[in-house]
Amino acid sequence: MLDFLSPSRCQPGTTTSPLRRALDGADLDVVTDLWLDGKVEIRGDLDLIDPLPGEELVRLMPRRGYLFTSDDPADVVARLREVGLLAYDATGALAGMAIEGEQLMRRLTDLDLDRLPAAGPLLSRVAAIVIRDEGERFRVYVPQELAHDVGMAVLDMARGLTLDVSETDVAKELA
Amino acid sequence: MQGYEGDTIGSALYAAGLRTFSRSFKYHRTRGLLCCTGQCPNCMMNVDGVPNVRVCVEPLREGAHVQEQNVWGKLDLDVLSVTDKVGGPFTPVGFYYRTMIRPRRLWPLYEKVLRNLAGLGRVDERGGHSRRYDVEHRRARVLVIGGGRAGRAAALAAATQGPGVVLVDESTRLHGVELAGVEVLAPARALGIWEGNLVPIDCETVLLRYRAERIVVATGALEQPVVFPGNDLVGVMLPSAVRRLVRDFSVRPGRRAVVVAADDPGLQAADDLREAGVAVPRVVDLRETPVRELEAQRRRGRVRALLVDGEEVECDLVVASAGRQPAYSLLAQAGARVEFDSALGVFVPTELPNGIEAAGAVTGEGLEKIDVRPEHEGRGKCFVCICEDVTTKDVKRAIAEGFDSIELAKRYTTVTMGPCQGKLCQLPSIRLYAQEVRAYESALGATTARPPWAPVELGLLAGRHFEPVRRTSLHFRHEEAGAQMQWAGPWKRPYAYSERPQDEVRAVHESLGVIDVSTLGKILVEGPEAAALLERLYPNRFADLRPGRIRYAVLTSDGGRIMDDGTVARLSEDLYYVTTTSTGADAVTAWFEWWNAVWGYGAEIVNVTGALTAVNLAGPRAREVLQRLTEDEVSDEELRYLDAKRIEVAGIPCLVLRIGFVGELGYELHFPSPAGEALWDRLVTEGARPFGLEPQRILRLEKGHVIVGQDTDSESNLLSAAMSWLPKLDKDDFVGKSAVEHFAEREERERLVGFTMEDGVVPAEGAQIVIEGYPAGRITSARRSEAVGAVIGLAWVPPERAEDGTRFEVRVDRRLVGGRVTSGPFFDPEGKRMRS
Repeated sequence: MLDFLSPSRCQPGTTTSPLRRALDGADLDVVTDLWLDGKVEIRGDLDLIDPLPGEELVRLMPRRGYLFTSDDPADVVARLREVGLLAYDATGALAGMAIEGEQLMRRLTDLDLDRLPAAGPLLSRVAAIVIRDEGERFRVYVPQELAHDVGMAVLDMARGLTLDVSETDVAKELA
Repeated sequence: MQGYEGDTIGSALYAAGLRTFSRSFKYHRTRGLLCCTGQCPNCMMNVDGVPNVRVCVEPLREGAHVQEQNVWGKLDLDVLSVTDKVGGPFTPVGFYYRTMIRPRRLWPLYEKVLRNLAGLGRVDERGGHSRRYDVEHRRARVLVIGGGRAGRAAALAAATQGPGVVLVDESTRLHGVELAGVEVLAPARALGIWEGNLVPIDCETVLLRYRAERIVVATGALEQPVVFPGNDLVGVMLPSAVRRLVRDFSVRPGRRAVVVAADDPGLQAADDLREAGVAVPRVVDLRETPVRELEAQRRRGRVRALLVDGEEVECDLVVASAGRQPAYSLLAQAGARVEFDSALGVFVPTELPNGIEAAGAVTGEGLEKIDVRPEHEGRGKCFVCICEDVTTKDVKRAIAEGFDSIELAKRYTTVTMGPCQGKLCQLPSIRLYAQEVRAYESALGATTARPPWAPVELGLLAGRHFEPVRRTSLHFRHEEAGAQMQWAGPWKRPYAYSERPQDEVRAVHESLGVIDVSTLGKILVEGPEAAALLERLYPNRFADLRPGRIRYAVLTSDGGRIMDDGTVARLSEDLYYVTTTSTGADAVTAWFEWWNAVWGYGAEIVNVTGALTAVNLAGPRAREVLQRLTEDEVSDEELRYLDAKRIEVAGIPCLVLRIGFVGELGYELHFPSPAGEALWDRLVTEGARPFGLEPQRILRLEKGHVIVGQDTDSESNLLSAAMSWLPKLDKDDFVGKSAVEHFAEREERERLVGFTMEDGVVPAEGAQIVIEGYPAGRITSARRSEAVGAVIGLAWVPPERAEDGTRFEVRVDRRLVGGRVTSGPFFDPEGKRMRS
């Protein structure tokens, strides 16, 4: 019934990333678009979940969490509902990006980067889920409706760390 | 100006012969280098457009543009220094509270003059975001503030216990210094200590927000000025300034100096001066030779001589120190107690909170007792606070006026409220108070230490400008189509796609339009008790709603007022799909969660607003076009008015809600947001004309549909808003039920009605309705409708004027224009078109 939430149920070629315009033509490779990552919002007893390979459970509250999956999230939703959980495909709700660099992340969030995954503010104003992969690679998920502005800000901040300040979007806009 | 590597702007200017660096805040007296450590306000100048830069610690750089500030005229000839010569009687302490308030009509003029004269440096209004600021969040196991001997020792000791040790020092002396296992930040300034051991550190254009498990404060002690007439003159310095000029910059501070000090470090300045070739004809050790009369005499704003108990000593430099006071402010901000130590004559921190430690002179360790007179006799102004130009006379006058509490007096005299934040005036002012009110310093206590401990640029505190816009997945399609975008709560939405919104209205009436309604809140309520929860949240019924059906829903507050509206569709026995207003999604979700937690129903509430794009396909051709794009049956028999159904449109799974906010045959399609552009493009290709918010407002007004928040306010209830059919008072309970019952019993005060205007004038929203010369109501919405052929709208009027056809007048541009109450929808009153 709830498959109208699932981008994976759309005909191929009909979906686009909310970060597309922000990241298109970006001259830095510190940010990668992860919009196709499967995300499933779960309500219920999270201990009932036994993540499969390619899945990662992020607990936000005792009975609320997200399962990130490399499988079709609509199938994962069906599987979780079979074990008695309420699951919703949140792939379209959250934009995802991979960010390289701990210093850049420290400028984006005040979350303790040694205690991830966690949910918290990004750029002080945007609710985000942050996951640490290996080394200095992080995954950040934000509401898709804010993704464009977040993407632009992240890129500009990354440029600020690597380029001359006058090259940043902010500086150009002001000039 | 020229300088050497390692020079500051201040040292280079001093070496070049500049002695007057600034003018004082109130009297515009000449001021020169005093501390040379970035604590006092005397060397504040404008550097490269940034005001209030302490040039004594600002590194010299190629091409820097340095300019005086707070000066009318030249630094050496400031017109406003007239206030020093003649303004004294007119500008006593707190004068702005008493003078210039009469006659009242002149206050705007006074205010303008005062505002122009007040303040120090001026912010460059054209500067805008001329600098880029960022915030970086960091964590440390041990954060040591202060890089003196004690600070360095504490940092090194902590480093032996493990990594994560950071040392912060505000001077450049530790720049580039390596300490084993310690990250050294210099120059960098800790601005304060907040709850949770949060320490923001000013690191030029980056604000480092440190969270530390342990903080060691080793901020040392600050030399205190001696209070005597002329103690602010150019040429009066603290020993620290002499040390810096001589040792760090190889600059000779003067030709002939007198040293007056009360401790060994202060007296050592005499040795430094002699080494630099300065004659020191007199050294006064205040511990051995208590002096009664001390007066700096001046010539053109500079020291000419020092009078010591009647003996005049010619000099161009007076080095004066009353001893050292622990720099405890950060510890006080962290929650430490501050007490007067009678043995040392200074305030010291005690009872440090957990996780906070102190090391070195900040604890009082190694300090000599301060035992000099709170003020010395002599002629001329004797400053207790050089930042705010507060004299001993001012303090005494404040006490005489009854400000005998140190905290009140601080606010009245502004002592300690200037740029040094009490570093140089806290102790002298308290000692003077104690003398005048004949109390012990320990009884008076110290004033509250507040952040920032060190001056900081506002831009650094403000950080990066980031106001994220909520954009629907169709945002850029709207822009590409030439839509004028407007704010709608936190969203940007298209106002209209052309100069004539009426054309878009006509397209919806005559053919087909499509509007992006993704901003509507969308909430899933699921669980065995979902029906019970909604039944109790809303005034109308939802338990009896059949799966696949939709019902209009208005949410009431517990005061019975209208909060939000939308629709509720039952998708299955245990699953409801709720829509809210565009601005209401978050609040309604929180409201649902709150009550669900209170009542403990077995229902989950999931806000899926962002997950879904929603478009409303509306117009007589809506069914025909929709049917072309789907293999599912969308005939009136299979998809009736107020039906909800899962269908596939152009290969995209959709929840279709057959509803009619704009009054025409309409289908709201809700589908995965990433597919927004694809489906929108297909609908437009099929002939649907995009329409914006403005055409939608006209269309809904033609139907008399209310917009919550536009036509209602925080006082509106269902009965007065002409929705008395909605609340089911026979239900056991719902939020706001008792209030709605109360509204039903009491006399109605106003009623929401439709109206038409008599002569085609469109009144402004909010325009006043006038009946018999008195204000009696207000317009909430008004538009010209081509379909109706009149100006139509909604308005609140007294109940006795709510009858169909009742005439009233509306104030429009200072004249009264007639209007008439019109009950029912203006267009297609029977709703045949949307049900067709």
